[in-house]
Amino acid sequence: MFKKKKSLWLFLLPGLIGLLVFYVVPFLGGIYFSMTDGTIENRFVWFENYQRVWENEVFRLGLKNSLELSLLSAPLIFLFAFILAVMLRALREKSLGFRNLLLMPYLVPSSALLIIWMILFDFGGPINRIVEAMGGQRVLWLETGALRVPVVLLYIWKNVGFSVVIFSAALSSVPDELYEFARLEGASVIQQETKITLPLILPTAFLVFVLAWVNAFKIFKEVYFIGGAYPRDEVYTLQHYMNNQFAKLDYQLVTTAAYSFALIVFALFGLLYLGKGVRGHDR
Amino acid sequence: MTVKTRDLRHHHRRPLRPGRIISYIALTIICALTVLPIVLTFLYSFFPMSEMKAYLATRNNYKEGQWMDILLSPSMVSLRQYYSLLIEKPVYLQLFVNSALYTLAILLGQSIVIPMMAYALSRFKFRGRDALFFIILMLMLLPFQVTMAPSVLTMRTLGLMNTHWAVILPMVFSPFYIFLVRQYMVGIPGDLFEAAMMDGAGTWRCYMHMVLPISKPILGAAAALSFADSWNMVEQPLIYLSNDQARMPLSVMFNQLSTNEPGIAFTGAALYILPALLLYTYFQEDILLGIQLSDMK
Repeated sequence: MFKKKKSLWLFLLPGLIGLLVFYVVPFLGGIYFSMTDGTIENRFVWFENYQRVWENEVFRLGLKNSLELSLLSAPLIFLFAFILAVMLRALREKSLGFRNLLLMPYLVPSSALLIIWMILFDFGGPINRIVEAMGGQRVLWLETGALRVPVVLLYIWKNVGFSVVIFSAALSSVPDELYEFARLEGASVIQQETKITLPLILPTAFLVFVLAWVNAFKIFKEVYFIGGAYPRDEVYTLQHYMNNQFAKLDYQLVTTAAYSFALIVFALFGLLYLGKGVRGHDR
Repeated sequence: MTVKTRDLRHHHRRPLRPGRIISYIALTIICALTVLPIVLTFLYSFFPMSEMKAYLATRNNYKEGQWMDILLSPSMVSLRQYYSLLIEKPVYLQLFVNSALYTLAILLGQSIVIPMMAYALSRFKFRGRDALFFIILMLMLLPFQVTMAPSVLTMRTLGLMNTHWAVILPMVFSPFYIFLVRQYMVGIPGDLFEAAMMDGAGTWRCYMHMVLPISKPILGAAAALSFADSWNMVEQPLIYLSNDQARMPLSVMFNQLSTNEPGIAFTGAALYILPALLLYTYFQEDILLGIQLSDMK
């Protein structure tokens, strides 16, 4: 650890200036901005904008959808990633190829996959063929509220690999002997994974969950690809609201909505963080 | 064969035979499904344009009992789509070049700024360091839209609105990559630094000749992940370039491509995926190793 080195500034300054100019200042400026009325006098109106935004039905629809979509995707990603990582570990050195394939979609631009997705979920497309072959009714995936399914699937398809890689790294640090004992005690596979693996990799699991959840708030891109700027009500996210208000040049509303959103993200993160801290003390 | 199996068993104290077989089968199926959309995109890019156009026109048919075909082999393999996209319609090539330039500029900027910042945050002690790191964590959590409107004002003040820089500069300082690289550098053993300083190396030489080479896996990983981000960006150009189509990256335009030019949509997609795949193949070891060695908790 270097202390009191002048060269610190050499390393720190470029990044610091950039962060300040492009992230911190806009963020702080935005707080002020969300409390003014946007006219030429730029009167300070305290929380009037917030009241306006929170009473707006479209905003509430977007908020509800953003929360629901993220609460749908994050646990699914977490669960799939954990199961996949456990299966990969069982394969040992043979797992590398599989892991690489699972990570591949993360690097592939999902915008380019849009067209294939539209075919897969077309009313006459392969997914519906499978649905009908299994005795179900064909679903209007792209035209009704069922649109959530292709959106969430696209999202999981793209993001699960990254979580698998993080999980795999953590799993490799759990000593084999623990499982040996557990099996001698007659613990089932599920018991082994939930009672031994999960507690031991808890901090990493926490990070995976937070990243999955936070990124799920950014699901806008996938919805935008499939549904455009004004998609169906069921997938109209908060980001749509903000983008569309932005297009209408109502910057006050955009910023106010954004801070309401940020507040919720921070609050949720804080809660999770507290939860983690408390559990950490138990052990 | 039996000898080999026994060796493996002896070596790995946890033989999970039925589990392994199930895992093997399940993973094969899941991985096949995972790469299916990518494989299909490439496959369809070699179909004749007319056939692809006709195929895409069979979408949105809501009659009972009517299905889209499942196309797996073209009536004839054709490079016509590629010819049309690359030579007859230079507009898309232009957009492709835009994407490449944006991505290149972002990666260049990041390669200078991000490792230095991560180095400062991980190996220096200074007042406010933890607070700074906390701020970076928080910024990492925010979706782009949160600071969108104030960012536009900032860009306007700086005179960067509607220029390439508005898209490039914020990405250069992306908090997530600062976090990622910092988590790796924290894990470099302190003894190395002590030894280097005994040999008279200062902070700069430590950085150039030790930290950067040691951090190669995470830098590779960050480069690949960041490439994917920049290559797939949508929100920033839409906002900062106010619909100036000539300056958009291709990622923004796929919506239009598939409706206006259905004959070449797949080739456009395939060509767009290709650099990402190549880069991924090159860096995949780094991604796995870099994340393995980082402090992820």
